[in-house]
Amino acid sequence: MTYTAEAFQNEFLALGATEVNAIVTVTSTGSASGQRTAGATEIIIVDASGSMQAEGRIAAARQAAKAAVACLDDGVHFALIAGVGTAQQLFPAPGQLAVSSAQTRAEATWAIDRLHASGGTAMGAWLLLAAQLMAQRPGDIAHAIMLTDGDNGERAGYLESVLETIAGKFAVDCRGVGTNWKVSELRKIADAMLGTVDIVARPSDLTAAFEQMMTAAMGKTSADVQLKVWTPVNATVRFVKQVEPQVADLTGKRVADGARAGRYPLGSWGAESRDYHVCVDVPPGAAGDEMLAARISLVEGDNVLTQALVRAVWTDDAALSTRINRQVAHYTGQAELAETIQAGIEARKAGDDHTATIKFGRAAQLAHESGNKATSELLATVVEIEDAATGTVRLRRKVAAADEMALDTRSTKTVRVGRGQ
Amino acid sequence: MTDCASCADERTAGAAFCEVCGRSLAAEPECPHCGTPGGVGEDGYCEHCGMLAGRERDHLETDCGEVAASVTDRGLRHHRNEDAMWLVTRDAEVDVVVSDGVSSSFDPDVASLTAVQAAGASIASGDVVAAIQAAQVAVAELAASGDPRRQASNPACTIVAAAVRGDAVTVGWIGDSRAYWVPDVGPAEQLTEDDSWATHVIALGADPEQAMRDPKAHAITAWLGADAGKVTPRTGEFVVGDPGHLVLCSDGLWNYLTDPAAFAAAVREGLREQGTLISAARWLADYANTAGGADNITVALIPVSPSSKE
Repeated sequence: MTYTAEAFQNEFLALGATEVNAIVTVTSTGSASGQRTAGATEIIIVDASGSMQAEGRIAAARQAAKAAVACLDDGVHFALIAGVGTAQQLFPAPGQLAVSSAQTRAEATWAIDRLHASGGTAMGAWLLLAAQLMAQRPGDIAHAIMLTDGDNGERAGYLESVLETIAGKFAVDCRGVGTNWKVSELRKIADAMLGTVDIVARPSDLTAAFEQMMTAAMGKTSADVQLKVWTPVNATVRFVKQVEPQVADLTGKRVADGARAGRYPLGSWGAESRDYHVCVDVPPGAAGDEMLAARISLVEGDNVLTQALVRAVWTDDAALSTRINRQVAHYTGQAELAETIQAGIEARKAGDDHTATIKFGRAAQLAHESGNKATSELLATVVEIEDAATGTVRLRRKVAAADEMALDTRSTKTVRVGRGQ
Repeated sequence: MTDCASCADERTAGAAFCEVCGRSLAAEPECPHCGTPGGVGEDGYCEHCGMLAGRERDHLETDCGEVAASVTDRGLRHHRNEDAMWLVTRDAEVDVVVSDGVSSSFDPDVASLTAVQAAGASIASGDVVAAIQAAQVAVAELAASGDPRRQASNPACTIVAAAVRGDAVTVGWIGDSRAYWVPDVGPAEQLTEDDSWATHVIALGADPEQAMRDPKAHAITAWLGADAGKVTPRTGEFVVGDPGHLVLCSDGLWNYLTDPAAFAAAVREGLREQGTLISAARWLADYANTAGGADNITVALIPVSPSSKE
């Protein structure tokens, strides 16, 4: 597994300036053989609450779960959980993990046929069972898919308390089918569990969604990669955000590593590239001073995989200090885009059309400027974009719930900026 | 008595290396900014305060005793020293090269270092034009290597080179780094003519003072680099009649002493007050820093006397 890290920044600061920004691009070639360096455990959680009977959802979910099982590589440990008012293990026997083979995959497929929709929704209990099963395989690349179609029925605060105990133990990709589930609820799970959230509006699209998630999971070859950020004395990390392929704020996930460094979990890695925005506040320097504002290392345990340096150089040459770094500017805009869309959706739900129009207008402008076509198209389902360049939009009178949820869940998707100064 | 930090062996005071394990006994360097002992990490930054402990090129000196001396200094305003120098002596022969990286290009510090090394390696033959041409080729090649941003803004620099062979001096240059002849008595002479906008318009009849005040004054019209086109180095040669000093410098010094008479007065004051060549060169760099240190400063001093034979 070869990793490279590269920092993009304008290292020049005006005298008195203390904020240092850099985009760090981390790229991995994947393992040399394409083989995992660790074992892998996959758990598929399918909501089997009564509402899943509607629109043929449970039948589509069965088919999707079978497709996901078919994607499992030989040797991967796996289990299926039926999500009702409690968590029930559908396959293999309760408390056990199966080892993927043609035989066990066929057995799992038969088990899936026994999945019937009747009962409640208890996401905390489902995830807790998944965590207990995962605990049998420490060091594995641990990943779960969770499908639901409704609100969590557990008492308030229970899901949060579960997330607190299991955060970082495995990754969870959440999918909501239909439009009766809450984006904020699944986003809470995905954020805590370093996963993704998306809407699958039509049950018939579930199979493709499951195959895509499982294929991506099978492509991961390293289990637990972390970003270690060293900063000098009297400096503070303002934030660490993943900004590509999607925005995810990692600032609160910091775990101290000695007096001057902190580790931020990045989850599992395959052959892929991700961008991180690191912002550090440093003490001011004199003209000509050069400071290492942050040493960014990609680590797996005690193993340093690659490193990038974020520097600060103070100058009174305004031509240097006012240079805009394209990467930093671009991703600052992409993060603002995600926040603005979510604020617009909140305002629209609260009936504040004025604020919603302003927010969606700004979002349309940001999406247009940065060439984020996918987000522009999603915005156009919620507002009529009259002039993207100036951010002139009009709220649509009738907006399909699925469109608004798609805009909400996908607002964090970013696009890359062209490289080179 | 001091113990070896690596193997705890006692040793006699003053030894440079541990007798047992062979490691250096020098105290671990302390950070020049915050004073933390052993604080400087492998990448040159202090593990405590994060400051770069020091760049080698920030201040360099070459002391060839009574034969020649040179100093290059970062100055006060630039974040790194983009000037470079080369000084080699063989008995009465002196090879000297000064180069100033063009700040608006990418990796100008690499350009200047490449230029002095290429020219320096070639100038021993005494052929200054060939030496500068070698530097031109080497600097132009930089655009195609290293950081891809070099292609968009190729590394570029000036050059002034001199070969002193007894009482014969040959000077060649491209750009606005200068050579002066400062005789012990009498008026000084600027041996080079800047390839700069100011020099160009003054030659066309513009008022010199006004031209030098123009923001474009220092814009150079010829340089070394992939985008420089075909530039023929200009040269001058002379045999000294009276004793004096050959002075090569970058604009970090001469910009504070634009009048050759003032330049000569400063050089003479430095030589008179300091006694040695190296301390005089240091004094001149300090002079520029005291005046503002707005640019990197490089100065080389080479005393030349007429041959004793009549």
